[in-house]
Amino acid sequence: MFNFIKAQFSSFFNTKRHIAPLAVMRMAFGAIMLISTIRFLLKGWVSAFYIKPKFHFTFYGFEWVKPLGATGMYLLFAILVIAAMLVTIGLFYRAAIVTFFLCFTYVELIDKTTYLNHYYFISVMAFLMILVPANRYFSVDVLRKPNLLATYVPNWTIGIFKLQLILVYFFAGVSKLTYDWLIAAMPLRIWLPANSEMPIIGGLLTHLWVAYVFSWFGAVFDLFIGFMLLNVKTRKLAYILVVIFHVVTGWFFKIGMFPYIMIFVTIIFFSATTHLRIIEFLRRITGKRKQETVSKRQEIVYQPGILQKQLIYSIIILHFTVQLLLPFRYLLYPGKLYWTEEGYRFSWRVMLMEKGGTAFFYIKDPATGKRSEVINSQYLTQFQEDQMATQPDMILQYAHLLAQEYQKKGIKNPVVTAQSYVTLNGSGTMLYVDSTVNLANEQEDWAHKKWILPFHTKQQ
Amino acid sequence: MRKLIYLAIVAASTFFLVESCKKSDSGDQTNTGSSFDRKGMLTNMSTNIIIPGYTSYQAATVTLNTAVTTFIATPNAANLTALQTAFQATYKQWQAVSAFEFGPAAQINLRVNTNTYPADVNQINSNITTSTYQPDLLTNLAAKGLPALDYLLFGTGADNTAILAQYTTGANATYRKTYLGLLSAELKTNATTVLTTWTSTYPATFVNANGTDVASSVGQMLNQLVYDYEVLKNYEIGIPAGVQSMGTLYPQKVQAYYSKISVQLALLHIQALQNIYLGKSASDGLGFDDYLDAAGAKYSDGTSLNATIKAQFATAIAKLQALSDPLSTQITTNNAAVTAAYTELQKLTVLLKTDMSSSLGILITYGDNDGD
Repeated sequence: MFNFIKAQFSSFFNTKRHIAPLAVMRMAFGAIMLISTIRFLLKGWVSAFYIKPKFHFTFYGFEWVKPLGATGMYLLFAILVIAAMLVTIGLFYRAAIVTFFLCFTYVELIDKTTYLNHYYFISVMAFLMILVPANRYFSVDVLRKPNLLATYVPNWTIGIFKLQLILVYFFAGVSKLTYDWLIAAMPLRIWLPANSEMPIIGGLLTHLWVAYVFSWFGAVFDLFIGFMLLNVKTRKLAYILVVIFHVVTGWFFKIGMFPYIMIFVTIIFFSATTHLRIIEFLRRITGKRKQETVSKRQEIVYQPGILQKQLIYSIIILHFTVQLLLPFRYLLYPGKLYWTEEGYRFSWRVMLMEKGGTAFFYIKDPATGKRSEVINSQYLTQFQEDQMATQPDMILQYAHLLAQEYQKKGIKNPVVTAQSYVTLNGSGTMLYVDSTVNLANEQEDWAHKKWILPFHTKQQ
Repeated sequence: MRKLIYLAIVAASTFFLVESCKKSDSGDQTNTGSSFDRKGMLTNMSTNIIIPGYTSYQAATVTLNTAVTTFIATPNAANLTALQTAFQATYKQWQAVSAFEFGPAAQINLRVNTNTYPADVNQINSNITTSTYQPDLLTNLAAKGLPALDYLLFGTGADNTAILAQYTTGANATYRKTYLGLLSAELKTNATTVLTTWTSTYPATFVNANGTDVASSVGQMLNQLVYDYEVLKNYEIGIPAGVQSMGTLYPQKVQAYYSKISVQLALLHIQALQNIYLGKSASDGLGFDDYLDAAGAKYSDGTSLNATIKAQFATAIAKLQALSDPLSTQITTNNAAVTAAYTELQKLTVLLKTDMSSSLGILITYGDNDGD
């Protein structure tokens, strides 16, 4: 067994592979990021999410990440656009992908209101792409410095992306193995009928059995699709399923660029031959046919230096260990995960909840005993308010902001309480946090928040 | 490699199947599976509620404008009383259409142009003394529309004799009359613009946008229903009653402060919102109540969400009925009754904004964003 693992390990890291998948990956990722970033700009979200709000919900430990003001934010996005372009064409690749990773991640860390699994996924992918020589083939860098050219790379450079994608799908599948998803067909039984105006299939969506079919198919798809993509026999079918699955979900739900990102990046599972064909096609439409004949025969193997290799291996092992453990951290917290959301983020839990809430905050002056309701819109955007109402860590952050603000207004040690009414997967609203607890005195840390009220519904 | 993978799958699957079979207490919606006719609901809303609403409101603004013209020509006590009556009738009709701030109304920002209060008395007086009125100026939002007329017709003197004097012998009487005419004409023009679109091209657009996203008609209706309800809860009741100001009361911030019909208007307003919810006009057509029932929506106590919402409408209305005009006086003398009404109104906010939208899978948002 040990030898078997060792052999697998060694083959994962050392087998020689053609570099073509990396080059295609670079162009696919760069191009889709370019489109995503431009789309984000055109939708006016830079202003709506990072300039307009007066307050931001920072991530624990990243309180130092602040928006950069209007000019700064647009500059940051301009850098993202340029970096994505450079990645796509493979010019100044390392600098470009490092810049992209840092800028993108910075933006994501500004405010957890906008947290999406697929933004996290982009950060992870960009991070992994820093480690690989994706610019050593079919790139401007190679035109610029022909001695950068490599035709073969060690397997890990391609394998890490496959592994990451398998993990994403698999964990997304595992997270669907719940009572809500499988037995209650929640939240799809709410979401699907909402699409009943769609042509042709619209009428079907109102049937309960359809919600069950979608739920079960979704779970099975997520659990197995990664492995089906890995297996050469099932690969073609799997990719067709990937395209259908993501196009359909993209069509039904408002999930932005995510489906297209997945359709683009899962190409990496295909063989080098397929990738060479893609490159050949690109060569033809860009009118550069010649040099391929030379490089195809030459076998130039990319090998990082010993030190660099050790560093990269350590990073990879550390990265995937974290990736494997992070989705399970919720087990350390009591209560229903969807309700408390303690350990919910960064775990590939996608589209699992129909959750909504309304939160009222109250300030009491301990000196006079007078109480006041807070007008949330004075401090938060509508989007922030909606997200905050259903997430305890954000409720706490907001309560702390209010304590500060009212302290400034001259109220000493204001008592901040919250009445948030939350509904989860059709449960109907119920009180979410203990409305008697002075949140100004509660601290944010890794421990369970005892002031979250338990989830319970009375069955009729 | 493959063996390892299968091993992992089997182990993980077993673990999570066991996990998932620990019964969790959720998902007790009993979706009947029957399809709800959203198009039918939209048709009912547009034909039986929205268009008749705008027709009545527009007619009221026409009558009001005529009464203003008569009063300007002959400012006497009888014409003032007639004008005041026409004004109150218009204010009452407005309550029925305030919630439809999408499509034609949104295009001209009808709600804020018609009913931004409290009226900015200083701005109104400065407009009169300088004989200038620029309707597009942002600072004039609180110096126009119904609240400004409320002040001009009821608030510029202790009684009708004193008020009348402002238009006859008072300083700037001429421009005061002109201003009155400009404001009522603007109300009429806006109402006519919206009604014209609603009686020509817009109903088809409205009925055909029968999805559930933010831009769809159902999405817009629900969002505006909730938004307008919040206006009622906060601006008509909460803020004046001091619930958001550490107990400092702002009785002068109520709607229709000078004509003293605030409670009447609030009641008409909530009843109008209730009718939108029920899809109710002369007869009871398809509304959000039927939509919720078709979706099998439940409240957290296991009863039907529709029943809960209807009951809460009734409770809130009863609490408002317990109040009497002038509301500004009630706020200072019987604040407990006003805040009691506010508390019940707040419960309804949660039901409409969170329970209803979540049960129907409709996003309550005034912006736009991706999900995942």
